[in-house]
Amino acid sequence: MGARAGARPPAAAGLITRVEVVARRGPGGRTVLPVVRGSGQLAVRRTGPASVHLVATAFGPLGGDDAEVRLVVEEGATLAVRTVAAAVALPDRAGDRPSAQRVVAEVAGTLDLRPEPTVVAARASHRAELVATLAPGAVLTATEQVLLGRTGEEPGRWTGTTRVVVGGRPLLHTTVGLGPGAPAWLPPVAPRAYASTVHVGQAAGVLTADDAVRLPLENGWVATAWGAELHRVVRAVEAVA
Amino acid sequence: MTAALLTLADSRLPAGGHTHSGGVEQAIAAGHVHDPASLAAFLLRRLTTAGAVTAGLAAAATTRSSSGRHRGHVPSPGARSPAGSSSGEPPAPASSELVAALRHLDGEADARTPSPALRAASRQQGRGLVRVGRRAWPSPVWDALPAAPHHPVALGVAAAAGGLTPRDAAAAAAYLSVSGPATAAQRLLALDPLTVAAVTARLAPAIDAVADDALRDGLPADTDPLLDLLAEVHATRGDRFFAS
Repeated sequence: MGARAGARPPAAAGLITRVEVVARRGPGGRTVLPVVRGSGQLAVRRTGPASVHLVATAFGPLGGDDAEVRLVVEEGATLAVRTVAAAVALPDRAGDRPSAQRVVAEVAGTLDLRPEPTVVAARASHRAELVATLAPGAVLTATEQVLLGRTGEEPGRWTGTTRVVVGGRPLLHTTVGLGPGAPAWLPPVAPRAYASTVHVGQAAGVLTADDAVRLPLENGWVATAWGAELHRVVRAVEAVA
Repeated sequence: MTAALLTLADSRLPAGGHTHSGGVEQAIAAGHVHDPASLAAFLLRRLTTAGAVTAGLAAAATTRSSSGRHRGHVPSPGARSPAGSSSGEPPAPASSELVAALRHLDGEADARTPSPALRAASRQQGRGLVRVGRRAWPSPVWDALPAAPHHPVALGVAAAAGGLTPRDAAAAAAYLSVSGPATAAQRLLALDPLTVAAVTARLAPAIDAVADDALRDGLPADTDPLLDLLAEVHATRGDRFFAS
């Protein structure tokens, strides 16, 4: 696994990655995972009774790659999703296509999604999307950490869309664009690091700090922080979360 | 047609927009805006985020409220007039379908406006626009709006009631997302009015691009967390000139 030359025909269409995990309430109320499936660039490892880690099996994603992670958490079940290492989005070899990753979650139980950071290399463009459809009473925590450019490198371009629907009603729908060419990424506020957490399940009010803000949602909140260094930004978002 | 659009986008339309700075007041306090160049950058980031979202919502609200005259939309059953009646193309009556469609857009506006301060500002301006719009362009479609609608939803209905197109509504929304804040900056920083007029005028191609994009499928959701933060900090101040 991980031999990119084998997985990717020359001058190719991007690599297709598909992950599916289903969490179900099993006997005695414990969560079981009847479906744990990965293909393409991500393998899925069971790392606990109700937790999985996504393991990258190749460098990347590269521009043109397309990944979709489908998560289903049924009523009474709990699922924690982690990744083992930061993902480094790299430029398209053939052109300037972005890499894409969609997380499509259907949640009636509790989903805790906390991947490691995404680093967007110079000249790379990455599109991240989270579409979470929640039943009334479902609990969601989803984090996002982004760093534009590796050390000493120009920033890459990142676009992140979050849409959360609860009981058929839209709760949150935002798209943030970062990096050179993003229309609202302009000095004096053009951060290299960005972190965001959305939570549904427990309400919290407005909280502001330097370059960080928490906003209330019905029965939840969304916290965002930005700045020059990712470790500080992650601390800042945790401070207002 | 054109004159209704000019009226809708005119800062002298007494819809209450002049009491809002679109975040400029706090951007000045935070040091982000201090001269014409930094104002231009602030207006551009506002236009391409909040402006794009309001343009998309306004265009969609006009489409829903216009009884199928625009963009090839088929008239809904509730919007069809009885055979042999007026040959004109009146705006759709306030059918339950339209009520639901506008309520849906208002919900999408909420989802794109998580900041309570920005939500309040949008609903305040929406209510102000309904008040003047009902008098200016009487139409049954006004009755389909929720009580204090988001401003872009009210703007879309006003455009429909005034016989304008979704593209007109999007242009008005995009323009209003920068014209009010530009004037606020001019007053707060005592900038040269000619310079500020030039800053706004130079944004015209970007305003047109935002209005064009507003007509594409799917409502825009572009957001700028900086504007959320500025709005929430501003809302706690006791010494502010502007409501937002």
